[in-house]
Amino acid sequence: MAHQAHAYHMVDPSPWPLTGAVAALLMTSGLAIWMHFHTMTLMSLGLLLLLLTMYQWWRDIIREGTFQGHHTPPVQKGLRYGMILFITSEVFFFLGFFWAFYHSSLAPTPELGGCWPPTGITTLNPFEVPLLNTAVLLASGVTVTWAHHSIMEGQRKQAIQSLTLTILLGFYFTALQAMEYYEAPFTIADGVYGSTFFVATGFHGLHVIIGSTFLAVCLLRQAQYHFTSDHHFGFEAAAWYWHFVDVVWLFLYISIYWWGS
Amino acid sequence: KMYYKFSGFTQKLTGAAPTAAYNPQGLKQSLPAESPTMIFATPTKVVSEAGSTVEYLGANKVPDLQKFFQTSDGIPVHLKRGYPDQLLYRTTMALTIGGVVYCLVALYIAAQPKKK
Repeated sequence: MAHQAHAYHMVDPSPWPLTGAVAALLMTSGLAIWMHFHTMTLMSLGLLLLLLTMYQWWRDIIREGTFQGHHTPPVQKGLRYGMILFITSEVFFFLGFFWAFYHSSLAPTPELGGCWPPTGITTLNPFEVPLLNTAVLLASGVTVTWAHHSIMEGQRKQAIQSLTLTILLGFYFTALQAMEYYEAPFTIADGVYGSTFFVATGFHGLHVIIGSTFLAVCLLRQAQYHFTSDHHFGFEAAAWYWHFVDVVWLFLYISIYWWGS
Repeated sequence: KMYYKFSGFTQKLTGAAPTAAYNPQGLKQSLPAESPTMIFATPTKVVSEAGSTVEYLGANKVPDLQKFFQTSDGIPVHLKRGYPDQLLYRTTMALTIGGVVYCLVALYIAAQPKKK
């Protein structure tokens, strides 16, 4: 059936890059239209298109890899490079927000009272919910490693259980953080403290949600026998992403919650 | 005539109704004194011996899906499943084209100078 004399993957023509690009166009111009004319239609349309694109594109990758066998070792190597490079780009994304935080907090201006935390800011106690959040994410790092070993050893039930536990811990973190946001004595509008706090932790929270979703998809795939004991790169990619999210939190906790309080 | 039963509470004989005396506690007429021998699924087996025949959350459909997706009918992977794929694709494409048109119109309107 295959007529190629190489191990690489020549993909079928696909409409998803186009629909994804259009989604980006609609979301960005929609954002501008929302700001000036107060209607969310264009932006929502872009978001819907983005979700449809992601669903169908990744569905097709699963079809190509798991069902059609296109993910040979050299192809998988390329996918690994791709995921590593993507996570690296995300590291730089967060680096920017840490730069902003340290820029403002290492040399606090007179407008802030010349001190950090700025005058009038009641910081969160780092040894209450933030410490619990740290424990939750560290535990989830253990459970995701447990899931990986279960998959490699062919232990189906254990893999499903440990992966489920990981996802539940991710949800628990998100719920705790949402509660903290609601109860916090300061807002994003409270000067540079509020800005750096909520932008950095907010983007982190978004990444926790993305990571939990990725792991949930892996759980569905594991239940449907997609992963074998030596070929389960989708899961490994999710686990790498999850460890990255955990490490970002540790930096956030040390810098903003602890040193910055 | 007094009727007695052995009270399980006080561990002594106490007065009782005739029915309780004729039917000592624990024994009722027509019910067997011992429960019938329990019949397990035969033959009984240890879970670890069940092996691959035990299904956990459904059976493995991957080999069937592999066969299905590898049919050489020339259909691209995003339409391979037929009708549900087509429906989703057409909806997505309609939103794409409609969205571009709507976007251009919205940007054209936004670019008009405000009338005073």
